[in-house]
Amino acid sequence: MAISTEKLSGILQNFVTSTNDVQGAAVVTPDGLPLATSLPGAMDEERVSAMSAAMLSLGERIGNELARGTIDRIYVEGNQGYGVLTSCGEDAVFLVLANQSAKQGLLMLEIKRALTELKLVLM
Amino acid sequence: MALEPHAFMNKMSTRIGFTAEDRALLQANAEWGLKVAPEMADHFYAYLGRDAEMSSILNASEGRTHRLRETFVQWFHEMFTGMDEWGNAYADRRWRIGLVHVQIGIGPQHVVPAMATVVQEVGKRRQADGMPDAVQESLGRICMIDLAFIEQAYVEVSSAAVLKETGWTEGLFKRLIATGAHAM
Repeated sequence: MAISTEKLSGILQNFVTSTNDVQGAAVVTPDGLPLATSLPGAMDEERVSAMSAAMLSLGERIGNELARGTIDRIYVEGNQGYGVLTSCGEDAVFLVLANQSAKQGLLMLEIKRALTELKLVLM
Repeated sequence: MALEPHAFMNKMSTRIGFTAEDRALLQANAEWGLKVAPEMADHFYAYLGRDAEMSSILNASEGRTHRLRETFVQWFHEMFTGMDEWGNAYADRRWRIGLVHVQIGIGPQHVVPAMATVVQEVGKRRQADGMPDAVQESLGRICMIDLAFIEQAYVEVSSAAVLKETGWTEGLFKRLIATGAHAM
């Protein structure tokens, strides 16, 4: 069955607009191609997609090398907010950007819910 | 991202225009090629040896220069004989030579000008020996193909190492290069 980009975009839009302190999100392929994005205007969709796939893959390699088991997520924390990368099955990577006010527990829970929805569309 | 030497050889022969006439001319002058090969090896390694960095690489182990010089003579002669009509064995050996260059650290920045020196010296020797201009043109074409193997080996080995260490796909790697280059 073909992947519905409309549905993917709908889930992302809904996630970004309805989750507190989330500024953007993207679903990209392991090759770094965007499947659906809802990113802040100044961000380059192509670069963000490539970097997201690169970071998750590299994180998984590092996790393996350092014997950390299966990697659940890559977490980037800066003084202006967070970037969270999660594997979305074998064929996609889910990126979420949140500001520094985001409550981490809530954010992780919302990401988990969004992932369940995204995986259904990507199956 | 591993290069397929046979396909690469065919592609470069077509691209550079290395023709049946070139092959016939080189084979007809293979003896001359063997005769001048040691002299060309002298020029090649004299050029590299003048560079401090290269000199330390060439002399990093006992007998390395001697072995490399012998390989050069063989390599130079093979450009004339074509080994198996410039077929798979020729391509495999060129790829192997490229890999050895990467392993010991002789990069394109050193090989390309050193090779240019050899081509220039071949020209002088050809004139002195009264050989036709066409020999040098044919040799120049096969030399470009061989250089392409050496340069490509650097790219292939570097890329393969990055992919192995990062787990990135080839597509992702190319995309990162494209987006990165675009941002420069």
